[in-house]
Amino acid sequence: MHRLVLVLRRAVDALRRGPFVTAVAVGTIFVAVLLTGVFATALTGAERLLSTWAGEVPASVYLAPGADLETARQAAERLAPGTKVEAVTPAEALRRLRASLGDQAKVLDGVGEAVLPAAVEVRSSGMSLAQVQELATRLREVPGAAEVDVGAAWLVRLETLLRRGRLVGAALLGLLAFATAVLVANTLRLAVYARRDEIEIMKLVGATDSYIGAPFLVEGLLQGLAGAALGVAALLGSVQALLPWLRRALPIAGRLSRPDVLPTPLLLALLAGGAAIGIVASALSVGRFLRRV
Amino acid sequence: MIQLFHVFKQYGAEAPALSDVSLEVRKGEFVFLTGPSGAGKSTLLKLVFCAEPASGGQILVFGRNVSRIRPSGIPYLRRNVGVVFQDFKLLPDRTVAENVAFPLEVRGQHPREVRRKVTSALRAVGLDHRMGKFPLALSGGEQQRAAVARALVGDPALLLADEPTGNLDLDRTVEVMQLLEGANARGTTVVVATHDRGLLARHKKRIIALENGRVVSDGDSVRRAAS
Repeated sequence: MHRLVLVLRRAVDALRRGPFVTAVAVGTIFVAVLLTGVFATALTGAERLLSTWAGEVPASVYLAPGADLETARQAAERLAPGTKVEAVTPAEALRRLRASLGDQAKVLDGVGEAVLPAAVEVRSSGMSLAQVQELATRLREVPGAAEVDVGAAWLVRLETLLRRGRLVGAALLGLLAFATAVLVANTLRLAVYARRDEIEIMKLVGATDSYIGAPFLVEGLLQGLAGAALGVAALLGSVQALLPWLRRALPIAGRLSRPDVLPTPLLLALLAGGAAIGIVASALSVGRFLRRV
Repeated sequence: MIQLFHVFKQYGAEAPALSDVSLEVRKGEFVFLTGPSGAGKSTLLKLVFCAEPASGGQILVFGRNVSRIRPSGIPYLRRNVGVVFQDFKLLPDRTVAENVAFPLEVRGQHPREVRRKVTSALRAVGLDHRMGKFPLALSGGEQQRAAVARALVGDPALLLADEPTGNLDLDRTVEVMQLLEGANARGTTVVVATHDRGLLARHKKRIIALENGRVVSDGDSVRRAAS
């Protein structure tokens, strides 16, 4: 126990004795965590919005001429339990079309209601794109169904874009983590070099490499945690400040909350990532120095 | 305690720092290692406490061949060796007590035990009243006494001193030598590297003389010559 206390005491002492190096290391990790967090938040938010949009899109089952609308509605209710199912007669479809055309509804003058097919519309909220597509597959079994449209083509394209964004993001984050570790390792080398006399004397009196290295690792851990905590705090502050604006600008984002864009597991991952970068950077710098002396 | 067999040490393409050195220091001995600057005294001490590897030959310390000790085993050998340097090698930002506590802390001794032994070691060198001071607040003689306390606090079987009185006046030299002789009287084997012929003349000990990396005499002839 007293060894652990000694290691912690030596690490905290060292942080106190080298405030400049500590500030640079903490600052570097802060920037890396903030950049990572901004990217991850943007991706998470976009995915959340995509999911919301997907849930708002109605699935329409267009019926073949002569198909019984009521039978189709009942079948749709069976096939999609928990959703809002509505039967749309050709007359109602035409009325809606007229309403949607507004002033230009005159172009429909002379068009008979039989032009439009009867349909069953299925609405649900909170469904993901994949769930909506799965629902569309089930709805093809509705008796008399000629076509099922979930209007999801553009959503599929958007999701593909996000999937690619995740891949590019993962590669960029890996690169960013590596660059940060190298940058922090070089900064910490200054700290190690500044304490070369202490290290030399410790080796002289019989200290093992692990005894010498442990406080440096703890220092790295504390610097990483401090940088990551600052980054997470900045992210939280930014998200809290930007969310009301986003809700006003995008009606679809009306229900978006902080955990939707910045979930707690992501915050914990950012903290753990910062700590890991601090430890790896410390291990690199002190390991290289110990091999030389 | 220490045995060297045909030991060579060479740095790059320069002339050998040590050349075909064979000698033995027995347990409980007090030995002076002497010679002019560049004779190889410090190099020999560095080889004994594994600060550097030999280029050739065999070195046995406590009966162990140091060339066969793995790097991870070197710290454990050093815990039985106290080392004193001419420039003291005290950390200026640590108090005297903290400097002396180093060898005990690296062994993981309990803080209470560390405090007790540090106080005792500093009392033995007459510095217990200065334990809270920083090294730069001490005189040269006091700093060297603190360095001796650090070397002896772990009760080592072997004490190596590299020009321990090189920066001290005669009175302080006498004080430090008394401490080294006291440790030797308590059973510690002591090897002192010095080029101070006056020191050799005042202390009737075994003298090993080096010149250009070779042992040129071993015994008390140099002391007689000096006197």
